[in-house]
Amino acid sequence: MNVLKTIGRSKFSSRSVVLTLFLPPTLLLFFWFVVSPMIDAGRFSFYDWNGYGQMTDFVGLDNYADVLTHRHFSTAIRNSIIVIVISLIVQLPLALWVALALTEKSWTISAIRVLFFLPFMLAEVASGLIWRFVYDGNYGLVPAVGDMFGADLPFVLGDRLWVMPAIMLVVVWKYFGFHMMIYIAALQSISKEVIEAARLDGIGKWKIIWHIKIPLIRSAIMISVFFSVIGSLQLFDLIFPLTGGGPSHSSHTVVSFLYQFGITRQKLGFGGAVSVMLFMACVVITLLYQRALKAQESHE
Amino acid sequence: MKYIVLTKNLFFTLGLAMFSGLSAAAETTVDWLHIEAVPANVALMEAAAAEYETTHPGIVINMQFLENEAYKAKLTTLLQSDAAPDIFYSWGGGVLTSQQEAGVLRSIDGAVSEELKRKIGGAGVNAFTRDGMLYGLAEKVSQVGFWGNKKLLSQAGLVPADMATWEGFLSSVEKIKAAGITPIALGGQDKWPVHFYWSHLVVRLAGNEAFNAARLGEGDGFSSAPFVKAGEMFLDLVNLDPFQEGFLATDYGSAAGYFGDGKAALHLMGNWDYSSSKSNSESGKGIADDNLVFINFPVVAGGAGRPSDTLGGINGWIFHRNAPDEAVAFMNWYESPEVQSRFAEKAVYIPIVAGGSSRLENPFFKTISENISSSQWHAIFFDQELGADVGGVVNDISLELSSGALSAQEAAELVKEAVEDSM
Repeated sequence: MNVLKTIGRSKFSSRSVVLTLFLPPTLLLFFWFVVSPMIDAGRFSFYDWNGYGQMTDFVGLDNYADVLTHRHFSTAIRNSIIVIVISLIVQLPLALWVALALTEKSWTISAIRVLFFLPFMLAEVASGLIWRFVYDGNYGLVPAVGDMFGADLPFVLGDRLWVMPAIMLVVVWKYFGFHMMIYIAALQSISKEVIEAARLDGIGKWKIIWHIKIPLIRSAIMISVFFSVIGSLQLFDLIFPLTGGGPSHSSHTVVSFLYQFGITRQKLGFGGAVSVMLFMACVVITLLYQRALKAQESHE
Repeated sequence: MKYIVLTKNLFFTLGLAMFSGLSAAAETTVDWLHIEAVPANVALMEAAAAEYETTHPGIVINMQFLENEAYKAKLTTLLQSDAAPDIFYSWGGGVLTSQQEAGVLRSIDGAVSEELKRKIGGAGVNAFTRDGMLYGLAEKVSQVGFWGNKKLLSQAGLVPADMATWEGFLSSVEKIKAAGITPIALGGQDKWPVHFYWSHLVVRLAGNEAFNAARLGEGDGFSSAPFVKAGEMFLDLVNLDPFQEGFLATDYGSAAGYFGDGKAALHLMGNWDYSSSKSNSESGKGIADDNLVFINFPVVAGGAGRPSDTLGGINGWIFHRNAPDEAVAFMNWYESPEVQSRFAEKAVYIPIVAGGSSRLENPFFKTISENISSSQWHAIFFDQELGADVGGVVNDISLELSSGALSAQEAAELVKEAVEDSM
């Protein structure tokens, strides 16, 4: 009994030592770089402030009203929703389809996986610049391909109709490899015996995918959906090198809208109000995700 | 013996470290943040800095570069951080006023000789004076006008004089189009190149008095007749579809290169485009000087502005509140006619300092210098003059007019609202 107590105590004390050593620096960094800027953004949102000196001009909720009535805010919201929807109905199914095809372990399959994962490893700004050259109507790849087929393709990044489809192509190209990897990791964790048993029972390939594989990787799909939605809401660093939010502010997402009309216009209060709204949206989505996760756990 | 040698070495090393530490302490580093992107121009600046370091031992001039758009976006944060530069670029105007009011600038009153002030002249000193205190040293003047490709214009049967009036300009654009040539290069993505159209039409239509009244929100402000008319006249041009295909997705550098490659007949831009259209062209040489022409912005019949009024800038250098005296001393030297004439000789820019511009050899810059001298109102770029918030809206409405997304009345109302919000 005493021995057990001693072991328990020593475990407790070693845990305390670990917590004492590692928790404060982490908490400090988290507070300094995450919590503190959030509090600051919240404070800014109640002031009319150009970023210089002290905030003195308290304006209450005026900045929030300005954001909601801004003539480009609805475009930014619409575009962010487009990014979320396309990510969910194009990017994730594509990633799942490719993952199902590339689950087997062989060097050729690994090479193809790396190829699909490469865009995700590229910096967002670099990806944006590369695609800007691809789309360039004078010197880019798109007009060259159009010329090959005798078609006069539009300057997609300068066209209000084509700009969002062009951006969505880049978003899917850039991030589907990341979701593919999540799915591959989950698919590889499925017991081979389960699949083998289903095959012996004469169940077809598609039924195995639909009724066995997909239900078994539901957790991975949920986390992938979560990352996709949050990432879509925060999309910024692909947009700026590609279009800068143009043409005529038609490709702004919520974050590029915040940067354009809050930061570069030196209206930090306005920017703060947008960031608070965005933060609230992320919190709501996170809570919904947690709720769905709990429901799934209780179901299992 | 070995011990003694080691000890000697140790003392020698320590002594050396102390000596270098002392010399490092005696050194003053001046951080100088600029936005110059043309390599040949940067080389001249670097040579001047190196020369100053040689003649002033203990002073290190640390040149730092930020691209134009990044500079504008980062400056507010940068100036309030520990990494703030000592000397940095300024367009003057409302942005300078915000910086001065916030107390991030150092006044250089008393640190600039009366002789240098006199040589810079009243307009240059006033551009950097706030509340009766001098905050910066004006360096150069610039004018916005149409750069033209004479060969392409003559292919359309035109001479520069055909574009002296707005009506003549519009019919010239039609003739250039009819000749199968792209009339105008425009970098729409950066927005500020587009605002030159609306701004210059305002200079022509409203004149100095109405502009000053509008910026103070007096009367109908920016929604009064001349400002609406400026939008309407710009739309008259836009309706001719005069810009290169995809201009909304083209940045300034690419548009300058497009013009420099001889693909468009005209480019509305400041005199810096002389260098930029060359450096951004495929050949790196751009259009030969004998094929290039600078045309003043067309005159608008019945406008309140004088035909001689110009749009451009008086740009210079300002100082962070923690800038050392050495930074101001360096700029006093750098802005002297002797140093500035080097930039005039190489046609980098038109120095404001008397004696600096006298050595201008470039014929275009000579003409522009004379234009500004004879101008009674040299309007500063509206996006800088009106501050980041109102100026940003001017850029926005100009861009949206260029894409036909806004009516002239809506554009004028938006600028008026921005002025009201900023008050």
